[in-house]
Amino acid sequence: MNAPTNANATPRTLDEYLEQVREALAGADPAVIQDALYDAEEHVRSELAEHRNLDEATVIAKVASSYGSPEEVAAIYRDTEVRVTRALRTPPAPTRKSALGTFFGVATDPHTYGALFYMLLALATGIFYFTCAVTGISMSLGFAVLIIGIPFVVLFLLTVRVLSLVDVRIVETMLGVRMPRRPPYTDRSQPILTRIKEMFTDPRTWSTLLYMVLMLPLGIAYFTLAITGLSLSLGFAAGGIAGVLFGVGLVDIDVVGYTPPLWTAPLIAVGGVLLFFVVLHVVRGLGRMHGQIAKNLLVKAG
Amino acid sequence: MDTEPHVRKFQKELSAGTVALVLLVVLARATEPMYGYQIAKQLEQGDGALAGKQSALYPVLRNLHAAGLLDSHTEPSVAGPPRRYYRITDLGHRVLADWLATWGDTRDFVENMLKDFRP
Repeated sequence: MNAPTNANATPRTLDEYLEQVREALAGADPAVIQDALYDAEEHVRSELAEHRNLDEATVIAKVASSYGSPEEVAAIYRDTEVRVTRALRTPPAPTRKSALGTFFGVATDPHTYGALFYMLLALATGIFYFTCAVTGISMSLGFAVLIIGIPFVVLFLLTVRVLSLVDVRIVETMLGVRMPRRPPYTDRSQPILTRIKEMFTDPRTWSTLLYMVLMLPLGIAYFTLAITGLSLSLGFAAGGIAGVLFGVGLVDIDVVGYTPPLWTAPLIAVGGVLLFFVVLHVVRGLGRMHGQIAKNLLVKAG
Repeated sequence: MDTEPHVRKFQKELSAGTVALVLLVVLARATEPMYGYQIAKQLEQGDGALAGKQSALYPVLRNLHAAGLLDSHTEPSVAGPPRRYYRITDLGHRVLADWLATWGDTRDFVENMLKDFRP
């Protein structure tokens, strides 16, 4: 690990302390960094509130020995993250060596089904987010000339933040991508106007809006892919058998059924089953991709 | 030979194994929800493996919460930052009872093994 440039400079203010924690955690998952910074800020602010008679530098020095120096804090969070990921989360699907095992093993990975459900749900959430974002933006612009313009924009952006927190939880649960479990820290000691200003200058507010708009096309694509993939593969898998048992054609056009030769029925059934697993792979891959999109747009980079 | 790194490693492992139990006991004894800083201050007294860096407590609290053993909510405070309060759940109480039994057995076993040993 590279030593940060100011590793030796003792932090004297809360901001310096947090900055050094952030630096010491450089390269870690942004979600871990956000959690670590939240916890540190909560603790240090409590300590500061407890010792109002001491100056900030003294309290920070005290914190560095009780709570931990930035490097120690970083080490603890890196460690805990590894241990917890191992102990508390859904056990990862056993890694299979053989190519066959890798191919069929996708069916035993819980995240595959999480991703599948997420893709089916994405149409609904996508429409909801998109409507919310577009309505909010246009009403904000429309109200801008009126006296209620400013409060409306602020309310709208607050809603956007809450929705982003909800989505972060959904993404972590269903797609298994590590996301922050704490909201970004808001400093309540600041005057309300400063906090509102921060909300406007925070790039995450705007990237969240982008994410909400983007969710409509993504949601439509996910939903369509999932439905098409499932019905096609299951149709083939069952269709071959149905053709043999009930004489139903695989393709029925204007009552004229096209039935493939009987000997192909088993092949079609097997092909359908294989296609089903391919679809599961695609679903899991898309789930991971979406997790990365969500992480980049909803979580502040470390 | 310097024994310091070995001592530290041992402390770290002991604390990793017991800190969740101690946190659960602290919260089970408390009559009202507590926030991280209060809990940290309670653990400040005493030496030994658990008197380590307090930053180690927060991730553990969060994990206990994620596992359903603790309930939590944030409240704005009058004179400081918003605080995340923790309270033990029913599941937490039941798990704690089991953990205490396990701890008792482990402690007796270890004491028993160390009893007649003179370095």
